[in-house]
Amino acid sequence: MKRWRIPAAFAVVAAALLFVLFKGFGRNPHEVPFMLKGAPAPDFVLKPLGGGEAVKLSDLKGRPVVLNFWASWCGPCKYEHPVLEWGAREMGSQAVFMGVVFEDTEENALDFLRRMGASFPQLMDERSRMAVDYGVAGVPETYFIDAQGTIRGKHVGPIDPQTLAARVKELSQPAPASTAEAARQR
Amino acid sequence: MNAVLVSLTLALSLATGQFAPQQAASDPLAPAREARVQVLAKKLRCAVCQGLSVADSPSSMARAQLDKVRELVSDGKTDEEIVDYFVARYGEWVLLEPRAEGFNWFVWLGPVVLVLGGLFVILRQRQPLPEGAVATEAATAPSPSSPPAPSTDDADPYLQAVRRELER
Repeated sequence: MKRWRIPAAFAVVAAALLFVLFKGFGRNPHEVPFMLKGAPAPDFVLKPLGGGEAVKLSDLKGRPVVLNFWASWCGPCKYEHPVLEWGAREMGSQAVFMGVVFEDTEENALDFLRRMGASFPQLMDERSRMAVDYGVAGVPETYFIDAQGTIRGKHVGPIDPQTLAARVKELSQPAPASTAEAARQR
Repeated sequence: MNAVLVSLTLALSLATGQFAPQQAASDPLAPAREARVQVLAKKLRCAVCQGLSVADSPSSMARAQLDKVRELVSDGKTDEEIVDYFVARYGEWVLLEPRAEGFNWFVWLGPVVLVLGGLFVILRQRQPLPEGAVATEAATAPSPSSPPAPSTDDADPYLQAVRRELER
């Protein structure tokens, strides 16, 4: 009667361990979760790079916004930049393209843009306040905000033209049901 | 050779500005509040370095997150509200210590249960030795390599069985 108790206890412990491992192996440990999908985009007031009048997110309401966080010291940002330049040229009528300089000096950022081209406005994020507000976990990251000011999602890492075009197109369509959105992570 | 290559690469990347320029952190608050900032920052995971807390990481992202904690503390937010602010952005991943609720109890109680279970098994296995066995164990233990001393305990049924087997 008692003999099966200990094996049964071990079986329970082993099953529990397997469950934990199964849950753990299901996700990439290097991926930082992003919780702001579907949430209203935090408002910001940022100075443009090189001076000028401060830009407010609320001023842009009614138009979809593509926000790209980047830095001159970030390698992948260099080969992502031409894609964004192309996007701003081709799809500038469908969405407002804006860059946010992350953890960089104004001088370095301006130098980067002189070499790589600057066809969309850039903002300086002092002390990375806005980056933390938006849950940025590194550069480059591209945020897609619809005309109602809702974050539709973000793209982590350098973006390719196909993804960029598809995400911008999605912005002009009504928000999908929240369940469908959750099922199609990122 | 490798060392030369590595140092050359590092020097080149420094020269071409492939690094995040160090920016000054915001000024510490009054000691009592700053202590709160540090305690909170110890609990939060830095977004770019995975395994380090915001307080321990030298990265610029961690500095930005620490600045945010400072800003929220000086705004008069409670600890709970500050932790919730970060969880709302980065999920529970941002907490270095999982919250003691729901499925997380498994993480908190699992090790305790395993240790208790182990102790239980050990105690169950360790039956009190009979007097005679303790004495023979003590006599034979110091010289394990010497030929086994002739047992005085001829009544032991196991020893008798072994002898019978050998004599066959």
